Amino acid sequence: RVSSDGKPTKFQPPPKPVIVSKQKQRDERRFLSPEFIPPRGRTDPLKYYMERKDMIQRRKVFNIPEFYVGSILAVTTADPYANDKVNRFVGICIQRGGKGLGATFILRNVIEDQGVEICYELYSPRIQAIEVLKLEKRLDDNLMYLRDALPEYSTFDMNMKPVSLSDHEEVPVNKLQVRMKPKPWSKRWERPKFNIKGIKFELPEEKMKAAQKWSKPWLEFDMMREYDTSKIEEKIWKEVSEALRK
Amino acid sequence: MMPLWTKSGKKHAVTLLKVQDCHVLKYISKEESGGKRAQLLVGGKNASPFYKSESETEIFREAGVPRKQKVSMFNVTDDAILKPGTPLYAAHFRPGQFVDVTAKTIGKGFQGVMKRWGFKGQPASHGQTKTHRRPGAISTNKASKVYRGKKMPGKMGNIYRTSHGLKVWRINTKHDIIYVNGSVPGHTNCLVKVRDSKLPTYRDFNKNPPFPTYFADGDEELPEDLYDEEVFQFTEPSVTY
Repeated sequence: RVSSDGKPTKFQPPPKPVIVSKQKQRDERRFLSPEFIPPRGRTDPLKYYMERKDMIQRRKVFNIPEFYVGSILAVTTADPYANDKVNRFVGICIQRGGKGLGATFILRNVIEDQGVEICYELYSPRIQAIEVLKLEKRLDDNLMYLRDALPEYSTFDMNMKPVSLSDHEEVPVNKLQVRMKPKPWSKRWERPKFNIKGIKFELPEEKMKAAQKWSKPWLEFDMMREYDTSKIEEKIWKEVSEALRK
Repeated sequence: MMPLWTKSGKKHAVTLLKVQDCHVLKYISKEESGGKRAQLLVGGKNASPFYKSESETEIFREAGVPRKQKVSMFNVTDDAILKPGTPLYAAHFRPGQFVDVTAKTIGKGFQGVMKRWGFKGQPASHGQTKTHRRPGAISTNKASKVYRGKKMPGKMGNIYRTSHGLKVWRINTKHDIIYVNGSVPGHTNCLVKVRDSKLPTYRDFNKNPPFPTYFADGDEELPEDLYDEEVFQFTEPSVTY
């Protein structure tokens, strides 16, 4: 072969193939729903075991997909007062709360200029289907600040088509910084207590510095607040994945 | 406490009660107790047999049973007498029955009149001098004394209270757990006395209970979970209207 300036090109060896085994990919992508992890407390672990059995039983009959705060979901519930007896709602998940069977998630959408938030129970028998239209994570665990953000960040089309993930390796993190409506807000989101990374604060520098007055830098070193869930998660993951595989 | 859904889609809050090592300890006849009915002493939850006086351990030794943490008395009719030493299980109750649950409430210590009796107190400002949570007047002028039982500050909680007429939704025979509607007095993992309801509305509600009790070595084989008819079991598909 001759290159553009007449000299013979140096032999380039082909790139080495990177073999990523599918088993390893699937192992790396394990997701344990946060309501399985028991909270800290003095309750008998037998109570959490009984709850987990019921939760696994419900998951065998009805598929609850993996989703995070910031993903867009469509939920159909049975409604005795609707025409078709079903009610479909599309929205972005702003919060996942509760542990065990009472786990809930809040979906937010803006319909005809009116912000609507609906809190659904994951294990309620009235839910007919949960589809994930767009699976993604955001910079925060709690998107309550969308109430004070411009309505364009909370509007989603009711007839949105599901977006399938091409790579089955990592869940994409949307590093969107949201612009807010003018103050007053429902909560003072600039304070370090909320630790929000997903807002583009357009406040003057003195206000941001004044907000740091309420910071509690000793909290991250407080040993009494530590709750290491890694071992508990391992055990519960094994139990749940074995039970669901049967 | 856990949520529980019925077939119509309604949610109820449910308390889990575990029947842990319950045995009948002693039979006290009508003449001995001096009452109208015979009594049965029942004990629950094994505890250490040491550091206790002879008279206390005597009852457990005669019944052939380790020392129990809680001992309570039940008034029984003559046809429901059990032999001391028989174990009692959660299957003694069936879903659909109504039950009274007695326990010691959470102790709050010495509490003021606003928390203990729900008094309104006084305003926070507008000239109040050192008086915001006090009881105010305790009697009238004409009485010239304070009546017995006047609500005043004192030790609150740690007394026996009963929640009446609680429905039993579900029974787990493998782990001996009773799922009872609503809340129950006492803190988590406290010892509790469960009795058939004495309310007049539920007097004829217990249809064919296991009488005198459920015997584990008997002939009937119960499934692991017993549900009430209205309970939504998670093996069924979602509710539709």
